[in-house]
Amino acid sequence: MAIHILGIRHHGPGSARNVKAFLEATKPDIVLVEGPPEADGLLEWANDPGLKPPVAILVYQPDNAQQGAFYPFAEFSPEWQAIQYARNNKIHVRFMDLPAGHQFALEQEKREALRKKAEAMAAAMAAANAGRAAAASDELAPGESEDLYEPKTGNGEFLKEAATGHAPTAATNTPDIPIDEEALVDASPATARAIRRDPISYLAEVAGFEDGEKWWEHMFEHRLGSEQVFDAVSEAMQVLRELVPQPDDQLEACREAWMRKCIRQAEKEMFQNIAVICGAWHAPALQQMPKQKDDNDLLKGLPKVKIDCTWIPWTYDRLGYFSGYGAGIQSPGWYDHVWKYPADDGTRWMAKVAQLFRKQGMDTSVAHVIEAIRLAESLAALRNLSKAGLEELNEATLSVLCGGEKMQMQLIQRELIVSNRMGEVPEAIPKPPLQLDIEKHQKRLRLPATADWKDYTLDLRKDTDLERSILLHRLQLLGIEWGHPQGASGKGTFKEAWRLQWDPELSIQVIEKGNWGNTVAEAAEKYTLDRAAAADSLGTVCELLDMAIPAEVHGATAGLINQISNMAAASGDVIQLMGVIPSLVSVTRYGNVRKTDTELVLGIVDSMITRICVNLPAATTAVNEEAAYQLLDLFFKLNDAVSLLQQDEITRQWQDTLKAISASAHSAPVIRGYATRLLTDHKLLEGDALINAFSYAMSVATPPEVAAAWLEGFLKGSGTLLLLDQALWNLVNNWVASVPKETFTQVLPLLRRTFANFSQPERRKLGEKVRAGGVEQVSPIATSGDIDSERALQGIPVVLQLLGITQNTTV
Amino acid sequence: MSAILRQNAEELFAQELEELQKQDSGKRPANWKLTPAAVVTYLVGGKLKNGFEVTPKYIGNKRLMEIAVATLTTDRALLLYGLPGTAKSWVSEHLAAGISGDSAMIIQGTAGTGEEAIRYGWNYAKLLAEGPSERALVETPMMRGMKDGKIVRIEELTRIGADVQDTLITILSEKTLPVPELNIAVQAVKGFNVIATANNRDKGVNELSSALKRRFNTVILPVPDSIEEEIDIVKRRVTSFEKVMELPAEPPALQEIRRIVTIFRELRNGVTLDGKTKIKVPSGTLSTAEAISVVNSGLAMAAYFGDGQLKATDLAAGILGSVVKDPVQDKLVWQEYLETVVKPREDWKDIYRACREL
Repeated sequence: MAIHILGIRHHGPGSARNVKAFLEATKPDIVLVEGPPEADGLLEWANDPGLKPPVAILVYQPDNAQQGAFYPFAEFSPEWQAIQYARNNKIHVRFMDLPAGHQFALEQEKREALRKKAEAMAAAMAAANAGRAAAASDELAPGESEDLYEPKTGNGEFLKEAATGHAPTAATNTPDIPIDEEALVDASPATARAIRRDPISYLAEVAGFEDGEKWWEHMFEHRLGSEQVFDAVSEAMQVLRELVPQPDDQLEACREAWMRKCIRQAEKEMFQNIAVICGAWHAPALQQMPKQKDDNDLLKGLPKVKIDCTWIPWTYDRLGYFSGYGAGIQSPGWYDHVWKYPADDGTRWMAKVAQLFRKQGMDTSVAHVIEAIRLAESLAALRNLSKAGLEELNEATLSVLCGGEKMQMQLIQRELIVSNRMGEVPEAIPKPPLQLDIEKHQKRLRLPATADWKDYTLDLRKDTDLERSILLHRLQLLGIEWGHPQGASGKGTFKEAWRLQWDPELSIQVIEKGNWGNTVAEAAEKYTLDRAAAADSLGTVCELLDMAIPAEVHGATAGLINQISNMAAASGDVIQLMGVIPSLVSVTRYGNVRKTDTELVLGIVDSMITRICVNLPAATTAVNEEAAYQLLDLFFKLNDAVSLLQQDEITRQWQDTLKAISASAHSAPVIRGYATRLLTDHKLLEGDALINAFSYAMSVATPPEVAAAWLEGFLKGSGTLLLLDQALWNLVNNWVASVPKETFTQVLPLLRRTFANFSQPERRKLGEKVRAGGVEQVSPIATSGDIDSERALQGIPVVLQLLGITQNTTV
Repeated sequence: MSAILRQNAEELFAQELEELQKQDSGKRPANWKLTPAAVVTYLVGGKLKNGFEVTPKYIGNKRLMEIAVATLTTDRALLLYGLPGTAKSWVSEHLAAGISGDSAMIIQGTAGTGEEAIRYGWNYAKLLAEGPSERALVETPMMRGMKDGKIVRIEELTRIGADVQDTLITILSEKTLPVPELNIAVQAVKGFNVIATANNRDKGVNELSSALKRRFNTVILPVPDSIEEEIDIVKRRVTSFEKVMELPAEPPALQEIRRIVTIFRELRNGVTLDGKTKIKVPSGTLSTAEAISVVNSGLAMAAYFGDGQLKATDLAAGILGSVVKDPVQDKLVWQEYLETVVKPREDWKDIYRACREL
């Protein structure tokens, strides 16, 4: 009986190659892979042709979907290769990590403990006097906060196991106590520093490398021959484990105990040749088996939660180190290349780079490529490396192809080194119903989920596009941010622009929102109503309505409208009401593109405008200047909305309100002025009445700032209007002319303040108009004098030629 | 000490080169005095196996030096590119000293540099007396470098007119220098290569043609990353200056250097070191090299006019001179900086007063 422990680096192409070669040589009868045992059932899909890496196993708590973890696999992941080998050769393969159910439960316990500790500390600090508290925080904070807040540094990424679902778990953190999962797994504050250092870096230092990653890469990943490499890894780790101080970590201990338990189980089942694939760090711990009883004691009474798991597509981007995944790698695209072309000396890579540059319109000759490879090779030789790595190739690219400019390297980083790519998952895999429904829609509407963003412009007059839009809006309502609306160019509401980019972590959103319904429509409706019920301000509900109408969740729309009218009745806040009217009105006006049921909306618009009209005059009194200007903006939009509606009843109410405001002495003057103008526009205030109103407002007795504000409101944004509207012009002009000389000097500043807001050309034109005596000066036109017909005739052929008429036909 | 004002790198650091050569057992490219790895060590410094300490010549990213040396092992030439005062010529001198043991093969590029300065010229007396012959030929450093297999340096390549620049193409790609008058061609011996320097700040430079650019690998030398690095550079260079100039003044306190580097960095980056205050940026480059020369001139002032100790007053004139390049705009920038940044700093009172007095 033989047990082979293969210590690997997660997502190391060299490790993957070694594992593959080793398995093919030793032909084990069972393969144990580090991973959650709950996902054993998923392994039957592993060699399904529809499952294309990068993919991940998503492990989550069905009753709390935010608590989840991802176990990503790329084609060059050793684990993936091991699983593939096992499936293809029809031998047993099992996951052997500590079940995620226990891990989650342990983490929850820890988080609870930390929260309590933090609370206790806060309480203690509050109790202490100010000076002491400050000192205490100085003393305590570093240890605590490092552990709690500091983003994790590169602490032995490849030793660290499964990505403990960073982004999703982060969502569960309460805002006041952000807890870093990795840090939690790590250590107590006292040893935090020591642990932060990647243990491998000690070895790297001895070998003269800057960091552990690089050393490992050159030692193990780039090596083509693989004899005894696993023994070497195991021995190295053994030494490190002995020398580097270890944190007393329950979780790590439990995990290793469980792994050993799995190995013992396999032995018990009489497997003769057992291959174990695990992170290099664990290899020594699995080789020297302690007493079975110790392990069992350790694993006794572990807390447990219920776990579900599924395959989800993953992206290289997410695999990347930068997206915060603990066992991440910096260059998935490069690893992919190394995996596919292990013997490449950089030529193929450089050719790829050159191709990319050419595609971007940068001149890159074959000579460039040759020179770059040469430079990379001499760099490797200079650094005593057997082969040019990504670093050497990058430096050569920078120096030869980019002329030293780093800008262009970003292109390579994005396109080649990370190389955003998304995996696929076969349809037959059991998935949450909501996910299935989304996929069904994606397929039907030909909206594939891709890792790179893609822009779509939808024409809502077309059925497919309309359905696409509805789907995207519904997903937005659900908080599944797959599509991001972009500003559509051009006029008309039948166009919508979206930018679509699928993020694997959306999968967890999908699972979470699956609680609300099995189809997108159902879930969107229920979720929206739930959010509306929890909303406390009218604005929030209106926003929801705004989103719900294009999403065509009719049940929710009706509910929202009902809630809005209830809340509007209770709300005294006119401004809030005014804010939502314009968008509602545009829905009713243009709703027919979407065939929305506009009657419903119209009903509430009606009642809301009535409410506004009643309350508005009061709302405009006793407001300060800033608020008045804010209100003025809303006025402007509301007036537009009313004109858009073209409902006599509403228009009449609105006009009455305007009259009331215009006449009220207590309303904010700027609004009063604007209301008066609107009345003029509606032709309700004309002739002498208007002149009277104007002169009254501008009389000397009115405090200057009030008069100025009134005039500003009255002439708001109408410099051009003043030019063109002769009646308005006459009004202002006559008033200015009639002001006595002494008074004029007093009102001059007011006028100036208003006119200063007009644009330069407007003011110039206004000046010209005044000079011309109230008639707008027409730009000079060439007057017709005597025409020299002889000379004119000479031009005719040219004109004809320009018009495309041949000369012969004319003369 | 010799009477030479400034010795060549290979003489100044003769001992280091010798020690390196002794320790250096690896394979050397033809006609190289050192292995590529030893050249890098010579540039960035380090401790040899026998404990001999090599001083760093270039303080900064070692990888850049590796790229530079690796380039020279290939058949591409090296172009050092960067702002004025980022040690381009310094690096090129030491590269040539380390590789060929001779940093004197130099062509200074100017707007007036002609082809005869790059290829060859004629001794007209001989030409008239004897007719065209090799004896009448005046060799340029380029030609000599090709014959001897040495590194040739071209300073300020972009200042040379475009038509003259292009004479380099044949030399760099075919490694020959034809002399049509004599119907011969000088073919480069192994070990020959070219290091050119050029700066990307000055206006009115002649961009390299893409044909020529293709013959060069470019290394951009950046301004120092951190203030500590910059202080280190200034300190080292000033110390070596003192040695050369035999100044009687005391070595400058780190404090003074730190202040000058701080002023230069702040003005260069347009923000105070703590990142709190925005500052207007003057038109000069304010490179590390200028900081070095400010300290140097301050030392000279202190030695000959002061009490031998570097004081703020000795430095003020130098700082002002390097910051204020444009008498109108830069002066305002400087005054603003003086009043808003220098004045409030408690321990900078002396420098503020000294600058105000000017």
